[in-house]
Amino acid sequence: MNVGTVLLGLAFGASLSAAGLLGRAYVADDDAYVAHVPKLTAAAAVLLVSALLHLTYQFVTTDYSNAYVWENTASYLPLLYRVTGVYAANEGSVLLWAAIVSVVAMIAGAVRGIPDRHAKLIHGLTLGLVAYFTGMLLAQSPFASIRTAFPGAPPGFVPTSGQGLNPLLVDPYMAIHPPVMFTAYALLAMPFAIGAAHFVSLFRGNGGVFPTWHGSVTRWLRLSWLFLTAAVALGGLWSYTVLGWGGIWAWDPVETAILIPWLFLTATLHAVSAYEPTGRYRVLAPAMTATVFALAVYTTSVVRSGVFRSVHSFADGGIGAAFLLLMALTAALGVLAPVTYWLLQPDDGADDGADGRWLRRANLVHLAVLGFGLLTFVSLWGLSFPLLRNAITGLEVSVEARYYNLWSYPLVLGLLLLLGFYMDYEAAGRTRALAGLGAFTVATLVGAFVAPTEMWQLASTRPDDAVVYRLVGSASAASVLPPVAYAILGTVKRTGGRIRTAASRNARLKQMGISLIHVGAALLVLSLPFMYVFAGQASVMATGVGDGSMDTSRQAVPGSDYSVRVLGHSRTEFPQDPAVGTHALSTEQVVRRGSSLNGSVQTVHGRVTDVREGPRATVVQLDGSNVWIGLAGNGTTVPVTTGERIVARGRLMWDFVPSADAVVLAGPKTVGPTADPPESVVPTRVVAEGVSLAVYEGDRLRASGIAGQRRYPEQGGMQIRDVVIDRGLLADTYVIAGVSDGTASITVKRIPFVTLMRLAIVSLLLGMSLVALFDPRHGAVTDTAVRGTARDANPEVAD
Amino acid sequence: MKPRKAMTLAFFVVLLSIGYFSMHAAPTLSDENYSYHGDTRWQTDVTAAEETAAAEGKPIVVYFWTTWCTYCEDYNREVYADPAVQSALDDFVKVAVNLDDDGGAASRMQREYNVNYPPQHVVITPDGEVLVRINGYAGTEDFLSYLDTAEQRYSGGSS
Repeated sequence: MNVGTVLLGLAFGASLSAAGLLGRAYVADDDAYVAHVPKLTAAAAVLLVSALLHLTYQFVTTDYSNAYVWENTASYLPLLYRVTGVYAANEGSVLLWAAIVSVVAMIAGAVRGIPDRHAKLIHGLTLGLVAYFTGMLLAQSPFASIRTAFPGAPPGFVPTSGQGLNPLLVDPYMAIHPPVMFTAYALLAMPFAIGAAHFVSLFRGNGGVFPTWHGSVTRWLRLSWLFLTAAVALGGLWSYTVLGWGGIWAWDPVETAILIPWLFLTATLHAVSAYEPTGRYRVLAPAMTATVFALAVYTTSVVRSGVFRSVHSFADGGIGAAFLLLMALTAALGVLAPVTYWLLQPDDGADDGADGRWLRRANLVHLAVLGFGLLTFVSLWGLSFPLLRNAITGLEVSVEARYYNLWSYPLVLGLLLLLGFYMDYEAAGRTRALAGLGAFTVATLVGAFVAPTEMWQLASTRPDDAVVYRLVGSASAASVLPPVAYAILGTVKRTGGRIRTAASRNARLKQMGISLIHVGAALLVLSLPFMYVFAGQASVMATGVGDGSMDTSRQAVPGSDYSVRVLGHSRTEFPQDPAVGTHALSTEQVVRRGSSLNGSVQTVHGRVTDVREGPRATVVQLDGSNVWIGLAGNGTTVPVTTGERIVARGRLMWDFVPSADAVVLAGPKTVGPTADPPESVVPTRVVAEGVSLAVYEGDRLRASGIAGQRRYPEQGGMQIRDVVIDRGLLADTYVIAGVSDGTASITVKRIPFVTLMRLAIVSLLLGMSLVALFDPRHGAVTDTAVRGTARDANPEVAD
Repeated sequence: MKPRKAMTLAFFVVLLSIGYFSMHAAPTLSDENYSYHGDTRWQTDVTAAEETAAAEGKPIVVYFWTTWCTYCEDYNREVYADPAVQSALDDFVKVAVNLDDDGGAASRMQREYNVNYPPQHVVITPDGEVLVRINGYAGTEDFLSYLDTAEQRYSGGSS
């Protein structure tokens, strides 16, 4: 039992008893013991955060007595990446998730209190989630002792060096992406609890909770969307550099997995903002609110259960099963309960307005919700059906990027046209808006046929492809222009009008935010197809790189305007000159560990205090201790002198000779001074090999730097890419090189519109920040005057 | 019918159609014995390929790939779709090894030829001796010249 496990155990006790007390209070409608809940909630949060900090501390100090620390870090890593190790695998990331959910539960409880029976149920559910996560951590602990990894090791055994961090995570983006993502997921816990509690309450005949918690749900969802958008963007930018994908999106299963809750959350936000207690989205909004979290759990199961093979499958194991169970539980509460309720309801009371007119803003919002629902389905289905099919038929089918691209493309264009129309409808009125929609739809269809060159085609298609792939794939990327223009024009026009008539500064800022989000989305859609359609790439091989006999003049890259000059070759091994204590045992440590080291290969360091030459071997005493280095030979080849600090590697024999405790049987190549240790003694963690090159476009220098790869020999030889990127306003020049056996294979890519995409992401984030802060009704800064008005009663005033 | 209900019904119709059509439009990645790349068909059973190569006296092209490797898609689209490449590859026994595969033979090939990232090609003799290695992506011309070199080395070595 160690400090970490005690913290987790106490947190589990606190969260479970708080959830239990709230559950009892809800069922019995009795306030006894509820007064203890805030204290227990705060305790759970403090304990879990302490556990997280404790684990982080263990990572920073590379405390290898903890198996999880030993598995996920190494002392050669800089501080930032030692911290990254905390959430490199399941145990740490679940701890992070649990800690954030517990803080969310604490804040939610503190802000609103537990005023009524509904609040008890909501907080009970949130704390139940905390307890579940903490239970998972007790079953598979991030604080397990190193003896679980080495069951045969004697007490007190601690390895000298760690396994190292997954090389893919050694990147600044990855230091922030997981915390941002888990914050987003954790923020979904409250909406889930509110949505689920709504239906539980309805089933129990207590009336729903959603009407009174609507504002709260909106705030949590917006905050979560903000973090999730940032997480998706950071992940995309990470794959751009680390994986050498030469793009930000490749529909890798895990990328697709995070997109699913993002798309559905976007749909949910639209539904929730149009929610009315007695009319629209009475069932759907709370149902979607609860479902988002279930989807987030599903996607985490995808990443963590090891079901899907992917570059992202960082870890699998027992915790996967716990996730699958959590997925079943959240799906039961978040999806099954609402569907059952909806089916049992004789009339869902959906009120389309008395006249049943089709063209109403409420219906347009509904179309948007459905559109995002379809987009979510495309991703969800693409991820899931190959598994189903493989399980049923044994046939492995390929879900290529074009499945996602080509099914999503028309839906996205449709949504943009809808957005343009929706915005225009308010500003321009029915007739003119319809005319506008007609014109832009025609322009889109015409655009689909305007392909100046074959390059504009969305995908290369073959005659035996499915009809939809041939149809959409052969359309021109020009078709994206009219919908984007329409969406932006409509949005800007409406925002102008709304800002003029807005009653308060906050309302104006909110409108600004809404405008930025929608314009950002349109720009994102504009950048994505062009980024791929117009990306060009060409490759050239450079030989003689290893021995310096390569051609250092400019070589044309066939099939492009580029030329490349290879200037040199570099090969570096890390860590360079590591502190000896990070990879070698001191004599004191050897003596302390005693006979447990017998027969193992060890690296030992110390000061030479005695050298005795025998007929067949030389022995060297370290630090005046009973630890000796044994060297075969009579001393002529032994380069050590008394007083020198040395490091030696070899098989350690305990009680080998009567006069010494331990003898390390080394050879001349495994002994040397600490200041300049022999190569075979110091572990090589990273081998970076690359070529320094300059890339020209025509006569202009475009990019220069070192491109190559980084290999991690002690981690199964995993490789990551060192790419050279010249970030241009219109296009990035992206150079990727594979260097081995004296040959460099250099690929130069031209990737357009990356800057536009970055701008679009900033616009999305900035926009949502404004909305989350300044919504007069549900923002962090609210206008008290607006609260309590009869806005909900009038559907046409909703956003 | 009320508009919202009609829209929702239409939503489910579209959803089911997407589900149905996409499932049938997905190309086969592999069946029991082969995996498909561009217009080429690669064996997946390493042992069987080694036997075929030994029997027919052909060198083996081992293609290390993954589903998420974008350069593998480039290979499919640019290189393997090229008829010249297809006919050049006829002189070889083709084996594809999915680097994400945990199977014994796949891991053995990865270790034996020290391959850790996709795409990589290793052309070997039936005895497993390396003739040519192609690291990363090579365009059609380069790819063909590699195959050519491999064939020359193979015939040089076996004569």
